[in-house]
Amino acid sequence: MNFLNKDNNQAYLYIAPAVILVGLICIYPILRTLVMSFTDNDGLNPANFIGFDNYIRLFSDPNYVTPIVNTVIWTVFATVLPVAIGFIFAYSMQFLPRSNYFQVLVYLPATVSAAAAGVLFGFILDKSGLINQILSFIGYEHLVRDWLFRPPENTYSMIGAYTWQATGINMMIFIVGLQGMPKEQLEAAKIDGAKGFTLIFKIVIPMIMPYFVIASLLALINSFRVFDQVWVMTQGGPGRYSETLAVTMYREGFVLFDLGYAASVAVLISLVGLIFSYFYLRSVLTKEDVGN
Amino acid sequence: MNYRTLEKIKIFSGLTAMAIIVMAWLYPVFFLLINANKTASEYAKGSKTEIIWGTSIFNNAVTAWNKGIGDGVLNSLLYGLAGSAIAVFFAFIAAYGIVRLKIKNGLIWFLILYSGTVFPFQMYLLPLFEAFVAVGIYNTKFGLILVYVGLCIPFATFVLRGFFLTVPWEIQEAAKIEGATNFQILYKVMMPMAKAPILLVFLIQFTWIWNDLLFGMVLSRSVGVRPITTVLAGMKDLYASMDGPTILTATVIASIPTLLIFLLLQKHFIRGLTLGSMNAGKG
Repeated sequence: MNFLNKDNNQAYLYIAPAVILVGLICIYPILRTLVMSFTDNDGLNPANFIGFDNYIRLFSDPNYVTPIVNTVIWTVFATVLPVAIGFIFAYSMQFLPRSNYFQVLVYLPATVSAAAAGVLFGFILDKSGLINQILSFIGYEHLVRDWLFRPPENTYSMIGAYTWQATGINMMIFIVGLQGMPKEQLEAAKIDGAKGFTLIFKIVIPMIMPYFVIASLLALINSFRVFDQVWVMTQGGPGRYSETLAVTMYREGFVLFDLGYAASVAVLISLVGLIFSYFYLRSVLTKEDVGN
Repeated sequence: MNYRTLEKIKIFSGLTAMAIIVMAWLYPVFFLLINANKTASEYAKGSKTEIIWGTSIFNNAVTAWNKGIGDGVLNSLLYGLAGSAIAVFFAFIAAYGIVRLKIKNGLIWFLILYSGTVFPFQMYLLPLFEAFVAVGIYNTKFGLILVYVGLCIPFATFVLRGFFLTVPWEIQEAAKIEGATNFQILYKVMMPMAKAPILLVFLIQFTWIWNDLLFGMVLSRSVGVRPITTVLAGMKDLYASMDGPTILTATVIASIPTLLIFLLLQKHFIRGLTLGSMNAGKG
């Protein structure tokens, strides 16, 4: 066979399994979800094309105000906290010898599943859990409450648990960034008398700005579609008070079987996610040293 | 006091401060371990910060193992090992085809494979559920392995493509002159050189599969098929029959494999993951 004798024709055989599998498991579902979102598919009756009705419903249904507000809260705080704490860790580690041991320990929570961490924090935040026991022990009885069953405390508590897991990766991104920072400029600034916060905000942060952009966009992408933590700790409850859009999507699709509607929520999550991803990939791809 | 002593004191106090902060940071892990090692009544009545020196954790582990965690562990081991290995193999040969065999429009083929890392998983769930039910692989081990293979290929291809781009062309040409076929070059020349990146990608994907909750929830239902995370998340519903320390012990068991992988590889692993996450997708 002449066709297969040429290397670049033979190459099709090598990429075929990967392309077929990615086509079936990733690309087909994406297209199918997009189509579904314009139908009234309920998994039982034949689906009808209903145009933008699902999307209009999504934005006019008062039930969806809570998940949308929660998702915004998540996106803001679950981005700012891990990035800021990650930076503080990375920055202070620089001045310490053998800081790699500390790095490993700070990173450690990120290696366990969100499900396991969720179960653990379920016990910590429980009515008779660790937090409340400590609060009453130190005399702050009035702060004792059922953290996961009371909005808005439940959303903020879960963001706290999430931050515990999400900080490590941000710390590592900043460590990479700080290591690549030209030391001469830093020394020059120090000689000029810059120190403390002035040094950090006027010199260090501007110098590693690209890493801030990458870390923040990555955190935005992940926090906007948060699911595991919320599902394990509250399932979006009580009622729908702590639901995020990803939980809404799951509930509409796999609990209520309103597939068309669930698909439109998925598309909405993707659209916002793609906007973040676009800027994210742009900044990663312009940073050769990170991209390869 | 001279300058040197002052420097030393500074560093020492810095280390002490950091040690205290890191201990506080890891206190939840400590809480997990001391409370997993209690009996149900010790946990319910006592202080959550109290340490009880006993061996209750072993009894709890046996109970948890028999109440679904055992099945979950074995299933997740299967999905992690098979899913990751098959995905890495397909990604390896695909990356070889794209980079080394100079396929036509290589960048486009790469982007097609890479597109699997860009969309949130919410876009995959409904059609996969629908299709898996229709084809009859919903709630089967085969179905879950299939889905994990498909989901892991894009990232693995990305990393291994990076590897193939760094291999000097002279090596391939020399082998060619000696009459080696493309497959022999892949198998005998490239594979031994790629051991490190292959192992790294394999372990990162194993960890990802082990920690996945969403696909396990959507594509499986029965105890014999569900992965460990799904079993663990479902334990809360069985709260009545399951006491606190047993669930905490189950959490410990569910965390051991990925924790071990991390502690063994540390820096390599973090670097790989940092790269991986900078490459969007896997959160």
